[in-house]
Formats: sequence, structure tokens, C-alpha cells
Amino acid sequence: MAGLAQWKMFEHRYEFEPGDVLEASRFVEKKGYWEGYKGDELAGYVILSKEWTGKLIGYSGKHMETLIGMDADGVITGIKILFHSEPIVLIGLKEQNYLDFLQQYPGKNIRQELTIGKGISLDAVTGATVTAVVHNAIIFRSARKVASETGMIEYAKGSKQSISKKFTALTWKELLDSGGVKNIRVTSEELGIEGEDNYLDLYFGVVTVPSIGRNVIGDKYYKETIDKLQKGESAIFVVSKGEGSFKGSGFARGGIFERFSIEQQDRGYAFKDSDYSYLTEIRAEDAPSIKEGGVFIVRGDDFEAASPFKFTIVLPYRVGGKKEFKSFSVDYKIPDRFLE
Amino acid sequence: MSDKKSIKFNRRNFLKFAGVAGLATGAGVMLPKDALMARSEKGSKGKKMSFDVHPGQLDDYYGFWSGGHSGEIRIIGVPSMREIHRIPVFNKECGSGWGITNESKKLLRGKDAGDTHHVHGSYKDGVYDGKYLFVNDKLNNRVARIRIDYMEVDRILEVPNIQGAHGLFPQRYPKTDWVVVNSEFQTPVPNNASNSAAFNNPQEYYGMHTIIDAERMAVVCQIQVDENCDLAATDYKGKYSMCTSYNIEKGVTISEMLASDFDYLIVFNWERIRKAMAAGKYKTINGVKILDGRMGKSDLTLRIPVPKNPHGVNISPDGKYAVCCGKVSPTTTVVELDRLDDAFAGKIKPEDCIVANPFIGLGPLHTTFDGRGNAITSVFIDSTNVKWNIAKAIEAEKGGEEAKKSNPHIVDVLDVHYQVGHIMATMAETKEADGKWLVSLNKISKDRYINVGPLKPENDQLSDITGEKIRHVHDSPTYIEPHDCIMVRRELIEPHVKHRVEMFEHPLAVTKNSVERKGNHVTVRMTANAPLFGLQEVRAKKGDKVTLIVTNHDEIVDLSNGVAISNYNINFVLGPFQTKSVTFKADKEGVFWIYCTNFCHALHLEMRMRFIVEV
Repeated sequence: MAGLAQWKMFEHRYEFEPGDVLEASRFVEKKGYWEGYKGDELAGYVILSKEWTGKLIGYSGKHMETLIGMDADGVITGIKILFHSEPIVLIGLKEQNYLDFLQQYPGKNIRQELTIGKGISLDAVTGATVTAVVHNAIIFRSARKVASETGMIEYAKGSKQSISKKFTALTWKELLDSGGVKNIRVTSEELGIEGEDNYLDLYFGVVTVPSIGRNVIGDKYYKETIDKLQKGESAIFVVSKGEGSFKGSGFARGGIFERFSIEQQDRGYAFKDSDYSYLTEIRAEDAPSIKEGGVFIVRGDDFEAASPFKFTIVLPYRVGGKKEFKSFSVDYKIPDRFLE
Repeated sequence: MSDKKSIKFNRRNFLKFAGVAGLATGAGVMLPKDALMARSEKGSKGKKMSFDVHPGQLDDYYGFWSGGHSGEIRIIGVPSMREIHRIPVFNKECGSGWGITNESKKLLRGKDAGDTHHVHGSYKDGVYDGKYLFVNDKLNNRVARIRIDYMEVDRILEVPNIQGAHGLFPQRYPKTDWVVVNSEFQTPVPNNASNSAAFNNPQEYYGMHTIIDAERMAVVCQIQVDENCDLAATDYKGKYSMCTSYNIEKGVTISEMLASDFDYLIVFNWERIRKAMAAGKYKTINGVKILDGRMGKSDLTLRIPVPKNPHGVNISPDGKYAVCCGKVSPTTTVVELDRLDDAFAGKIKPEDCIVANPFIGLGPLHTTFDGRGNAITSVFIDSTNVKWNIAKAIEAEKGGEEAKKSNPHIVDVLDVHYQVGHIMATMAETKEADGKWLVSLNKISKDRYINVGPLKPENDQLSDITGEKIRHVHDSPTYIEPHDCIMVRRELIEPHVKHRVEMFEHPLAVTKNSVERKGNHVTVRMTANAPLFGLQEVRAKKGDKVTLIVTNHDEIVDLSNGVAISNYNINFVLGPFQTKSVTFKADKEGVFWIYCTNFCHALHLEMRMRFIVEV
């Protein structure tokens, strides 16, 4: 980064105090958050996003620092942005549009799923998809992490199982039947648009499982993928047919795939162009030809491939001239036959 | 070597030079046979390979094309034949800044014209290892190495004592330690004032077979011969390299070069070359160790007589045969490589290594292979690609003239448009030749494209060679002027190609913006990070020497920045994390905008800064 005065014109910084997002008579500082009290009663928490999801970065390449207020039941009480350098102005938006977008959150409970197109609308910031998707993840995951830390919500223990090294040759149909490859199918009809029956027909699975990976992407590509992984990393494949696109174009300039992500407990994983390598065909017997594909590395060492996770796609589509979004999720767990 | 009578070819087939010229001028009247083929393809229900790569899909092969006298290399996706990239090599290319930046100038050393003919990849055990490409410069007698990870030139070697640096081939086995390059033009050695007596005595002109260390990019040695050294090949066992020679006469005019009824395939024995080097049997000229490879004076070389004025030499993917093309003989010469040891040992005559002389057509130039025992030879004067079976040609040769009459070896003949030069099949220069696609690099396009003026493109024709017949499927025009190409399976290259430069490979990579003056030399160190240059202005005084070093700090794939200085004739492009520099004299006073030329950002147009040259 050119650490220069010039960058300042893209930066927005706001002053804050914990009371901005939670009504309380006093605040007790903890690591990364405050407890707010009304008298002796716990009113809720005030969370500094940077401490919990600092690695989530927006279009600008920087984290959008956010102050999140949440009551003791998980209901968001207030949101205040503290710092960002998202180039909102470049796509014809005003700073106020961004602030309006964030005002949807108060009143929402973080025990429920909050994604763009399901509970959260992009209306105020149409066009700024990367910014909105990342900011949604920042709010939701920071709050959930604190909820987990404070015992408000509990997650199941991690899986004791690990991926089996055994390989079985499987056809595409057998892979689908096994549950090792999952499908999300979105029809034009359910989106209320004209077009092919399947607007998007998407398949994904964990590539690092030999019986999935080697069958889907072939032995050589499988080996190359495994060789590339750092300790603790996994990889998934995603392919699709149909008019819709799971890749989108946000990654071209912003480097982030804004349409799909995976989530495991309170941890979310978005993908960057540096996590991506091309996939243009499925090797498994009987596999359909695909329109888009990719192998994506799940970075970091906290993703447990053998434990359940959720795959979510936020799909934009046009009704007339208006851009709409709908979110679709599917749960995934590596079938037991591929674990040991 | 003068035993001309035992040569196993039919002299009646030889074409006289006048005949070559006459046929060449009348060649534009071929029937466009493939127009009919295209129609029949639509109606066909059989499963055929398609060259059509749909939007979003990727090609199966990396095609590396030389660029002839454009001096560059091109990357073509096969089978779509889309030009995907150009690698400037010996030329000046203002888009990327090759020939403008200090880094490229250091390699070019003032010579920004070149003539690339043969591009080949580095090998491991007879297959490409994805590390380097090598290419010759016939114009200024250089060899360049391209790093496949960045697809950029990293070394250029000027080869002394030669002219017409032509045939080039890397060692195929066990791996590419050596690269050989041939000198097509004989010259005095040394070719300078100390040897001026030789200038007017062509008998004192020599050809050279140069061996280069691929890793160090330095000349290992040169083998001096009387003949010229045209095309090059190496075997699949790491024992031999070879060249065709069409001017054993030491002629300096066309008629002199055509005087002899035969010429040679010259084979170089690597084991003996190593021994001669170790024994110090060389003289040093212009810093290069020169071994004597002349006929009668050397055991390093073997001369196999072939019909006169041959051109290409190609090795079959099974490593068994070298196929030498006749050019002015309508035949090819098939040499069995396993016989070379006995010939070097004097147990058999050199010509006993020849196992067939099949008829091909008028003007055979180069041969490629489908990996299924067939050879496909480009035939210049006939404008054809001729597919023939090597085993059948050898069998017919045993049967004598009568057995050869019906040309039993010929499988198919395809008309091409027009006047084919090189020919290449996918993976054909490796032991994994796969017989999928064939490219015929035709020198003349004539009426195949809309008229673009007197200077017309070349015409590369793609054919499916999976069946018995060659099935022509696609034409693509090329600008001046690919000679040769290789087509490499995608997975052998793609894993090696990087999206970003390793920033600190460049010793001057900029992490902190600064302007430093030492005397009248101003050094500007600057970052580029779309949509901002790291500095808003730079000042110099008229007459200052200015060095501008810029590093692109954007890590996003495909996010390049251009740096151009108005009215200073400077432009270059930086890929993610790449550093380049320029040095120039601030010889004009005024305000000059430095701006980004490579579209980078919604505020790309605003990505500019002032360069102020004070009086």
C-alpha cells in the first residue's frame, strides 16, 4: 500500500462510545467487547468487529470496523461503522446509503441466519455487492463469536473423524447418491423470471476427500491441489450449469467471490482469487458438461472438513430492469463412508 | 566421404532450381477443398473432435508459436487457435515496455530487432518439464530463454562466431542440460580484422554447431564444420544432436549452393564431444571453445548423405528414426538412429543408417508425427500435408523400386492453402505424441481472408488427425511470421504458470516512496496501487538524469498498471507485484503528466501525477 495522504480521501472514520449501540448504565470492558449493565442486570454486549473478524476485508482490501450492540438474547440493538474505505462513491452511492444499509440490522436476532437476500436487503446499496456481503459477514459472525464466547449459544463439539485415504472409483451419479456431492438447483420459475428451467444448477463437494476429489477433478489435478495446501487447509469444488453464475465478476477487480461462501459454526469462509484455480470439466463418468467451475482453497487452520458446514449462495437476477437477490443454503457433511 | 554411388535415393526425382521457382509462382490456383469439408461436417452424425471452445471454456493445449521477423513468441490456445498472449523477445514492444525498461534493455543490449524461428520447451525424460522455452534469433545470432512461470524472457545469450542462428533444439534426455543451435550461414572464424584475409575466400567460411548450457545460458563449445548447419534435432537418448546441411559446397550464390547432387545430415556425438573437451582438444576464439568437426579431421561428426539441399530433420516419438526432408528432392530420408553407433565405430557406412527414401511430393520441408507410427510431412510446392506410414515405407524400401512404385506408405494427402512451411502435431516433439491436432503453418494466405492490402497474413490451418484421413477444420491468420510451433498439453504447463511476480526477486522492489538526488541523478522510487501512484508529483531540473523505479503493489490477479510519461516516449506495464525501471534524460522543461496506461480501476483516468522539469 502506498501509505499516503492520498488514500485518506477514500477513508471514513467515526468517533464512538459503547453507549452508541446499546442502552446501558455502565460498561465493563472485556477482551474485544464490553458488557453493558442496567443496574446489576446484564443488558447486552458491545462488540468491536476488528477483534473478531478482522480478516474479513471489503472491496478496498481493508476491514470495515464496526461497533455492534447486541442484547442478552442475541437481538442486535445498534450498529455503528467506525472505519471503512469502501469506494462506495465510485458506484454512484452516497456515504448515507451505506449507513442506511447498516440500519437494517437492529431488531434482528443473530440466532437466525442473516444473509443478503434472506433477512437482509441490498436495496440501499445496490451495486456494492462485495461491500454488503462482506459487511454482513462481519456483523453476523462477530456477534455470533461473542455469543459463543459468552455462552449465549453453544456449538456441537468438533468431529473426531478424519478423512479416509481410501479411494473408490465412483460415477457422477454415485457421487450424488453418496451425498459427497451436493446440489443447489434454482429454477427460473421460483425466481419469477423467464428463461431456462434451471437458472442455476450448482454442485459442490470437498475435493480433499480422495473418493470425491480424484473422481471429480482427476488424479493429476487432485495431486496438484493437495500439494498446494498448507497445513490445516482444505479445498472444495464448485461447478454449475445454467444461465446464472456462481462466480460473478466481483473477483475480477475486487479479488473476492461475493456470491458464495461456507460457514461452519461461528466461522465463515469467503474465497479470494488467490484461493481459486480453474475447473472446466468434471472427470467422473456420466458427469454433465459444465458452464462454470473452480477449485477453492479454504484458508486458515480452523475449518474442520469432517464436520458439518453450510454452503450459501446469494444469487442476483434481474426482474425487468431491477436487480434482485435471493439466498440459498444447503448443509453439507462428508458421508461417513469417506471418513474414518 | 565421397562414395556417392551407394546413396539410396533416386536421382531422377531431383528438381532443378528453375523448376522450383516456376512452380512457386503458379501455386495460387488450388481448389478450396475444405469449403466442401466444412459443409459435410455439419451433416455428419459421427463423433468428431471439435475445435470450438465455447465461452468460458479453456483450450486443451498451450501452443507456443515463434514470431519470425516480428522477433516475438506467441501463445496460441489449441484447438481454438485464439491468440492468448505475446511474449516480446528480441523486439521492442511498447505495450509491455520491452525494449524501453532498464531490465529489458540490459538483456537486449541495443538490439531490438530479431528473427525467431524455432521455439522449444525444456525437457525431462522426453517430455516437457514446464520450466523454460528456448528460441533462436537468426538476425542477430542470439538464443533467448523464457521462464514459463512468468512467460517472460529471463536470459539472452549472444552466440559468437556464427551467423544465421537457425535450427535450435534442447536436449530431450535425461533432461535439458544442453541446447544446440546451428549457424545456417558460413562465415570466417573469427569474423574480424584479425582474419580479414578470409573475407574474400569462401573456402575459409565455416558453419558451427553450438552447444549451450541451458541453466547457465553460456556457450559450452562450438563444433566447427565446413558445411552450413540448417535445422536441428536431438535424439531421445541424450547421445546425439544433428543438423541438416544444404551448402556442403561452401557456395555463396544460389547456383553454387545447388551444385552438388547430395548434401548431408550431420550427426554430432556427445560422448566424444565431452571427451574432446576434457582432453583440451579445442582452440579458443572470442572466448568460445571450438572443436574441429570437419570431415576427415574429426571423429566427433558423422555425415549421412541425403538428397540435395535438405531442410527439416525430425525425430519420431518412439526415438527410432530421424526423418530428413528433401526440399528439392520429392522424398524424405529415414535414418535409423540405433545404427549410428556402428557408423561412428566404422562398422557400417554412414549411408547404411538410411532405411527408407519414400516419395512424398514436390518440396517436402518438415515432418511431424501422430504417435501411431505415421509421419505427416509438409510439402511446400504441392501445398499439401502428406500422411505416410513409416513402417510401410521401410518395408517398401526393402522391396526395391518395384515395391515402391505404388507408394504403399502414403495414407492421405490434404491440400492446404497455401505453400506450407513447418508442420506440427500436438505433443509431436515428445515421446507422448498424441495424434490429436495438426497445424500446417502456411506461408501464403492469398484469398483466404478479406483483403488487407499488399501485405497479407500467413495462414495456420488446423486439422483433426485422430482418424485415418486428415480432417481440416479451421483457418487462422497470423501476423509476420511464425515459422514453427509446439503444442503442449495444458496440464504440463498450467501448474507452473504464476499469477503474480515474487516481489523481491527484483532487487529494486519499492516498498517506500522516495525521491533521491545525487548530483544530477534523480532516483524516484514509487509504488503503483490502482488508482494511485505513490507520489503526486516528481520534480527534476532540465538536464538531470532520471531513474524511475515503480512496483505494482496490487495483489489482485490480472490487475496491472501502466506507467507512461507524456512526451518522453516512455511506457511500460507492471503485473501484480512486478517492478520495472527506466532511466532517461530530463531534456525538456515543462509539466508532463505521468499516467496509467493499463486499465486498472474505475478511477483509472484519474490515476496520474505530474513530472515537473524545472528550467
